[in-house]
Amino acid sequence: MPTSDRRRFLGRLAACAGAPAAAWAAPGGLPSAQHDASSPEWERLIEHLFPGRRLVQGQSVVQVAAPLRAAYGASVPVKVTSMLPQQPQLHVRKVYIVVDKNPSPLAAVLDLTTEVGQADFETRLRVDEYSHVRVVSELSNGELHTDSRYVKTSGGCSAPPNRDALHLIGKTVLKVSGEWHMGQPVQADVTVVHPNDSGFELNQVTVMYIPPHFVRSIRVSYARRLVFDAELDFSVSENPMLRFHFVPRERGELRAEVTDSKDSQFVGTLALG
Amino acid sequence: MTMRRMCALLLVVCLAGTPRLAAAVFPDAYKPTPVQPAGTPQRYEFDLTPALERAQREHKRLYVYLGASDCPYCRRYEAFLERHADELVPHFAKDYLVADLRSNLSVTAERLYFRIGDKSLPYADFMRSIGDERARLLVYPSVWLFDGKGKPLMQMPAGTGTFETVPEQLEILRLQQ
Repeated sequence: MPTSDRRRFLGRLAACAGAPAAAWAAPGGLPSAQHDASSPEWERLIEHLFPGRRLVQGQSVVQVAAPLRAAYGASVPVKVTSMLPQQPQLHVRKVYIVVDKNPSPLAAVLDLTTEVGQADFETRLRVDEYSHVRVVSELSNGELHTDSRYVKTSGGCSAPPNRDALHLIGKTVLKVSGEWHMGQPVQADVTVVHPNDSGFELNQVTVMYIPPHFVRSIRVSYARRLVFDAELDFSVSENPMLRFHFVPRERGELRAEVTDSKDSQFVGTLALG
Repeated sequence: MTMRRMCALLLVVCLAGTPRLAAAVFPDAYKPTPVQPAGTPQRYEFDLTPALERAQREHKRLYVYLGASDCPYCRRYEAFLERHADELVPHFAKDYLVADLRSNLSVTAERLYFRIGDKSLPYADFMRSIGDERARLLVYPSVWLFDGKGKPLMQMPAGTGTFETVPEQLEILRLQQ
């Protein structure tokens, strides 16, 4: 992040430190914006991430769902739905999740295999101010498809995190939803107990900024076959959660390998069958 | 000290430094019904039953506003409503009755209760009982939208900072998600 942006962000953070969460207005937020509109931040990010490539805007291949206003900016539920079955001949190979106005806009990049079966994901993001939340699906044929939602919130990056369970940091829990059948996509989720500190939050007692400490990657495999590999950022809410699909083709172990920004490594497993 | 306790303490510290402000009131133009708490000072219990019964009788929705007498952000929202009463009152009046719950910032989630009928629940339990995601943190001001049966009409955000323009307030009244 450019130094000037960082300073601006820190200044805003300092200005609201100690105030109730409702205090955080939406600096620069437009009362209304089209869900599919661009932004200067997005234009810059396109040049950086996809130079010279064409992005197809629409909902025919990928859709993103997020509330216009979330209960808390620190935890905005975001759902990515793929319209494309995950077949070897054509599938989603990468998913980018972006929050335009966050200090670090690229919240997640997920490298997918066909083992996901269905390239749908859910997570919770910090959204610092009025901003578009975007998803870009990169297909195996190189096409880029994007969808976006405008989200109204404020203070997400500086809302007080839950620190009641520091001794549990790194605990990685996998769950499978409902019944599962061999060869069919099964919904599962992985949750890592972690503060996901952004580095922009003031410790109200020491009046020092809490150093960044966040989950950097989650690698999920089933029966030793890679399902997806996610690179994450502090734009993901505390206790990062990813809901995903995978296709069990035999009895095996669902495994999540987690690395955080201090290079700590954590593992969660769940045996199926 | 847990973060939660630390935040509560800091909130109190911060509030101690806040200048005393005029009492919380939803502007008269909106014809709010003041709801005073019972059980003070140990607890602040707001009985929503009469307001819900009236809303049901009049086939209206209920706009429940929780303000604090010493909360600058409540004053900001109330001032916004006052300033734009000409534009907003007709929209409020068409579909909503306003219940104005009057609290103060020293009333934390543990002391804040809501009663509907014979059931009285503290803030977090009440929020969980209606499926409201704001259970984790009490924020002043807060707004809830209910139908006459006490069913929440929309998940609302913490605070009012995202609907302090006329178009955004209208989005809320129209339940635009």
